[in-house]
Amino acid sequence: MKGIKIDHVSRIFNDNVALADVSLDVKEGEFFSLLGPSGCGKSTLLNIIAGFLEPTDGLVYIGGNNVTDLLPYRRNIGMVFQNYALFPHLTVFENVAYGLKIKKLPRKEIEERVTEALSLVQLSSFAKRRPHQLSGGQQQRVAIARALAIQPSILLLDEPLSNLDAKLRKEMQFELRNIQQRVGITTVLVTHDQEEALSISDRIGILGKGHLQQVGSPLEVYRRPANRFVAEFIGQVNLFEAVAKKDETGIYEALDYQTDENTTLNLDVGNLVIEQKQEKVLLMLRPERIHISKTLVEQRLNSAKVKLQEASYIGNALRLKVVMNKGELSINTPDLMFETLPNIGDEFYVYWDAKDLIPLEEGE
Amino acid sequence: MRKTKKEKQQVFQWLLLIPTVLFFCVFLVLPFVLLIVLSFRDIDSMQNLLDTYSFSHYIEVFTSDIYIDAILSTLGLAAVTTVLCIVFAYPAAYLLVRAPSRRLRALFYILLVSPLLTSVVIRTFAWIVLLAQNGLINDILLKLHIISEPLSLLWNMKAVVIAYVQVMLPFAVLPIATSLSETNPNLRNASMSLGAGRIQSFLKVTLPLTIPGIISGAMIVFSLAAGSYITALLVGGRMQPIFPLSIYQQVMQVFNLPLAAAMSISLVFIVLIFVGILGLILKRWEARMHG
Repeated sequence: MKGIKIDHVSRIFNDNVALADVSLDVKEGEFFSLLGPSGCGKSTLLNIIAGFLEPTDGLVYIGGNNVTDLLPYRRNIGMVFQNYALFPHLTVFENVAYGLKIKKLPRKEIEERVTEALSLVQLSSFAKRRPHQLSGGQQQRVAIARALAIQPSILLLDEPLSNLDAKLRKEMQFELRNIQQRVGITTVLVTHDQEEALSISDRIGILGKGHLQQVGSPLEVYRRPANRFVAEFIGQVNLFEAVAKKDETGIYEALDYQTDENTTLNLDVGNLVIEQKQEKVLLMLRPERIHISKTLVEQRLNSAKVKLQEASYIGNALRLKVVMNKGELSINTPDLMFETLPNIGDEFYVYWDAKDLIPLEEGE
Repeated sequence: MRKTKKEKQQVFQWLLLIPTVLFFCVFLVLPFVLLIVLSFRDIDSMQNLLDTYSFSHYIEVFTSDIYIDAILSTLGLAAVTTVLCIVFAYPAAYLLVRAPSRRLRALFYILLVSPLLTSVVIRTFAWIVLLAQNGLINDILLKLHIISEPLSLLWNMKAVVIAYVQVMLPFAVLPIATSLSETNPNLRNASMSLGAGRIQSFLKVTLPLTIPGIISGAMIVFSLAAGSYITALLVGGRMQPIFPLSIYQQVMQVFNLPLAAAMSISLVFIVLIFVGILGLILKRWEARMHG
C-alpha cells in the first residue's frame, strides 16, 4: 500500500498547456477522484502517474519513490481503461493471469491468484469465457480483477464506468468502492461524472483548464467550493455578483437581480465577514437551499416574489426556474412540496437563510 | 407507395452493377469455363483438337515427375516469397500506422504503392540492371574488393524470390497496416501496465491481434506468387522449374493448348486449397476474438 505524490507537474503539448504546475498528495489507501470537464487535463495527469506520458516538468512519487523516469511496466500499477481493454484473443482466466505470467510466477500460484481475483469480482464461473461473450459490466469486472491480480501498489481507473448504462453504472460504483475498501489499495479515479466522484471518493481533486482548482472531501467541494469554476461544475448553482451596502454591514446588493422596478435584491450574509479584494463579491446559493412559500414571507432580506418560468419533474424532486422582476433563480425542491405540479406563471415567494450564501473566489 | 420507391431504388442499384457484372462474365467467367472445357478435350499426335473428352491431360499433369516437381517448387517459391513479404511488410506497416504526422503517413503510402504504378517489365529490367554479372551490385562489390569475381545473382531462383518480394510487398503491407490501425492502443498500454515490456507486449498482444492482417496479406501474396511468370521468366530465365512457366511453354512453344488448360486449372485448384486453408484459419481466429 502506497501513496502518490505529484510534485509541481506540468505538461505542454505543442504549446498547449494541458497541466499547469499541479501538486497533489494522495494518501495511502485513499480513494481519490480526479474530476473535471473533458479537456481539463485529468486524463493527462492519470497517464503521467501511469507512465504513459512524461511530464514536461515536475516529479511523480509512488510510495515515496521517485518514479518520474520509470517506464510504465516498471511501476507496478494496476490500471482499468475506459473501453475495458481486455485482450480479445485470451479467455477471462488468461486475461487475469497475463500480468502474473509476465512475472513468471509458478503455475500453481498463478491459478490461486486468478481464482482469488475472479472471486473478488464475483466472476469465478466465467473463467473460460472470452471477452466478447461477456456483458459490459462483466468485462469491466474482469478488467478490475486483471489489474488487481498483480497486487499493484496503486490502482488507476480511467473513466471505467462511462460506457455502462445509468443503472449498471450505479451498481458498479458501489461495487468498485466496495472492492477498493476490501483490498485497501490507493486508488485514483478519473471521471467527468460529478455524481460518481461525490458518491465514491474519499477526496476529490477538481481540475479545470489545466489547473487543480480544489482538493477536498465530497462535502467540502460541494458545500464550500473554492471558486466559481468548482461551484458551477459541481451541481447546479445560483450566483450573485453583489456589492456591499454602504450603510448596513453584512448586507449586499445583488447587481443583476431586482425584486421590483426600483429595488435590487438584498442579500444578508449574517455574521459572515467577507474579505473583499475587489469591489464586487461573488455569492453562491445552491438551488436546494431555497425555500418556497405560497404566502408572503415576513423577511425583508433574502427573499423575493417570483413567477414560475419552467418546471421539470424528476420523480423525487422538482426542478424549477423562477424569475423575479429581473434575474432568474434555479430551485430544487422535494416532491412533497406541491400536491399537484405548479403551473407555469404561478406566483409565489422564495426565501433562504443567510448561512446558505457562500462567498466564492472568482478563480482562474 | 413507399414499397415501390424502395423497389425502384433496388432496381437502380442493380442497374449500377450491370457493367461490372457483364465485364466479369465476358472476360473472366466465360474464358474460365472455356478453359475448363478445353482442358478435357483430347488431341492427336499433331496437337490437333479432337471431339472426344477425357481426363488424359490431368493424368499427365499429376503423373509426370517434371510437372510434379514444377508444382512443388512453385509452391515452395510462393511460400518463401510469402514468408519474406510478411517479415518485411510488418515493420513497414508498423511505421506506416505509427507515423507521427499525417503528411509523413501520406508520403509512406505513396512510396509504398509507387512500385505498383510502374509496369512489370520495366521494374524487372531494373532488377536485371542491378543484378547482372556486370550490373550495379557486382560492380560496387568488385570495386570495394569485397569479392574477387562477379557473383551470379541473376538467372536463378534467388533472383526470382528477390524480384517477387519487391513486387508483392505492398500487397502484404496494406492488410497488415489496416489490421494494426484497428487495434485499440489501450491494449498495449494495458499490457505495459501489467508489467510487460515493449517487445513482450508486441509479441503477446499486438502480434496476435494482427494475425488477420497477416493471413489476408499471405493469401494475396501466395496466390500472386504461385501464378506469376513474366517476372520469373525475365530474371530467372526460362529454365527455372516454375509451373506457370511450364504452362507458358506449352502454350507458346509446344502449342498443346488442352494440356496447358489442364495445367492452369490444376494450378488454380491447388492454390485455392492453400488459400482456402489460410482463409479457414483466419475465420477461426476471428471467431475466437469476436464471436
